[in-house]
Amino acid sequence: MLAQAPLALGLAALGCAIGLGLIGNGAMQGMARQPEAINKLQIAMLIALAFVELIFILTVFIGLGKFAV
Amino acid sequence: MGLLTRFSLLLASGSAEGEHATKASPFGQFLGLMILCSLVILFIVIFLNSAKKGLNTKFFGKLTTKLLEQLFVFVEGIAVGVIGAHGRKYIPMLMVLWMMIFVSNILAMVIHSSPTSDLSFNIALALIAVGYVQWEGGRAHGPLGHLKHFAGPNLPIGLAIFITPVIFLIEIISEAMKNVSLSLRLYGNIYGGGEAVKSINELGPQYGMAWMNFGDLLFPIKLLTAVVQALIFCLLFAVYLSLVTQPHDDHDEDNDHASQGKVASAH
Repeated sequence: MLAQAPLALGLAALGCAIGLGLIGNGAMQGMARQPEAINKLQIAMLIALAFVELIFILTVFIGLGKFAV
Repeated sequence: MGLLTRFSLLLASGSAEGEHATKASPFGQFLGLMILCSLVILFIVIFLNSAKKGLNTKFFGKLTTKLLEQLFVFVEGIAVGVIGAHGRKYIPMLMVLWMMIFVSNILAMVIHSSPTSDLSFNIALALIAVGYVQWEGGRAHGPLGHLKHFAGPNLPIGLAIFITPVIFLIEIISEAMKNVSLSLRLYGNIYGGGEAVKSINELGPQYGMAWMNFGDLLFPIKLLTAVVQALIFCLLFAVYLSLVTQPHDDHDEDNDHASQGKVASAH
């Protein structure tokens, strides 16, 4: 189980990075189009970032066998 | 710095996540966590007492009072912006959560072990937050109305027998998973940040540059993480509160049009 952990973590980090990049891309474009909506967009962006990040953190726990029974 | 590091190692070995935790008694097991929690609470109490002394003047001249005012305006912005006009009564709870998590996160950068880098403290925080959300939902709609909120939309009776129990079960599970997501996000970010610093610090001696702690170059990103994680915990708490305390969300379409009309007329 532990031998495959680095590969699993790398794959999870790849997906997580793509997701974070897409969220940042969308938020930046929205902010550039409508600078007066920056406050609302920032809050929504932070919540979405938190949800994407959570998946990677769960992968860390499962990949390192911390919670594996 | 050496004394500080030894002190933090001592605390970490006494806390629940340490590898050499003594299983003799719960008191010994959680001793480090208790000491760290009381450090954080002591700091908060000193800060609030100092800020309270500057309240009686017409202009806030004291530095701590000014800082506390800025913090209050910030948290009020979260509460009113996310929950709505009736969100003002949740400001004390949000302030307590924000100060506790933020001070603990800052402590985690200084001595590498803090309440929020311990899973048991984070689970306790998440249980308090989600339990408070249930309590407020029960107070806003009545206990039965709050349970009905889990049961999904109103269906014709033939469909309701089959589908409503399934929706109810899924909603209850997702409500319970809020605890897991809140606590693991905070724990993973803070504890993982400390671990990353430790493992990057080992790179220096490997390449003959023992005079350099490369891990401490991560300080800015850890500062960003500390602020953002405290913000996200409070923000998600406010979002969960706003979901359960919205008045009458049965007829979504009508309510949307009505509220839009109200906003338009207000402007």
